[in-house]
Amino acid sequence: MTELAIGIILGCCALGAGVAMIAGIGPGIGEGNAVAKACEAIGRQPECRGQVTTTMLMGCAVAETTGLYALVIAILLIFVAPQRLVDILMNIVG
Amino acid sequence: MIKPDKTVMKETGFMAVFSLIASVLMQAVFLIIGKWNLSVLLGNLIGYAVSILNFFLMGLSVQHSCDKNEKEAAGFMRASQILRMFMLFVVAILGAVLDCFNIVTTLIPLFFPRVAVFFRQSFMKKNGGDSDGGENRV
Repeated sequence: MTELAIGIILGCCALGAGVAMIAGIGPGIGEGNAVAKACEAIGRQPECRGQVTTTMLMGCAVAETTGLYALVIAILLIFVAPQRLVDILMNIVG
Repeated sequence: MIKPDKTVMKETGFMAVFSLIASVLMQAVFLIIGKWNLSVLLGNLIGYAVSILNFFLMGLSVQHSCDKNEKEAAGFMRASQILRMFMLFVVAILGAVLDCFNIVTTLIPLFFPRVAVFFRQSFMKKNGGDSDGGENRV
């Protein structure tokens, strides 16, 4: 029974990490769209290139944070959570 | 080989300085709570280096994609983001697996550029200035 519980914990942690990493797709699409629009803006007003690049860099840094949150959650679910949860289970079982 | 633009270098420099200050603060917090050891410092160093590298590579990608057309630029940025995310993933795994790195201090510096952007925006709003100091104003 304990082995089954440990298996469920490990499986759910791995599943959770996989689901969390779905959020990593969003920033890629967002950054792609932002840069595409920036290219359009630079094409229209080439003299604004520096200003557009600065704003876009800041925007991309903000957008990327969402992916980083997902990455951190996934790493914690894979490497930290299983051990803690198994310890808690073992304490309960005794 | 892409030659980095002046804007990219300037922004990366700003991020590097801000992240360095934040890293020093984080080390101070670990010292104060009495949990400082070498793994905390090493984790912070690798996290800091990768965070700045990630921002610099993002800047290079943005700079490079500005010369392309819309569709190519979007695809290029997506590919760049996936590769950079993979790099961060590898470093985060190293931080988690190797005992010489503290996982918390490896992961926290990855968020410093976001904090830097937040502080910069707040500062600029307070001063009523442009984010680039107005040097590129038309």
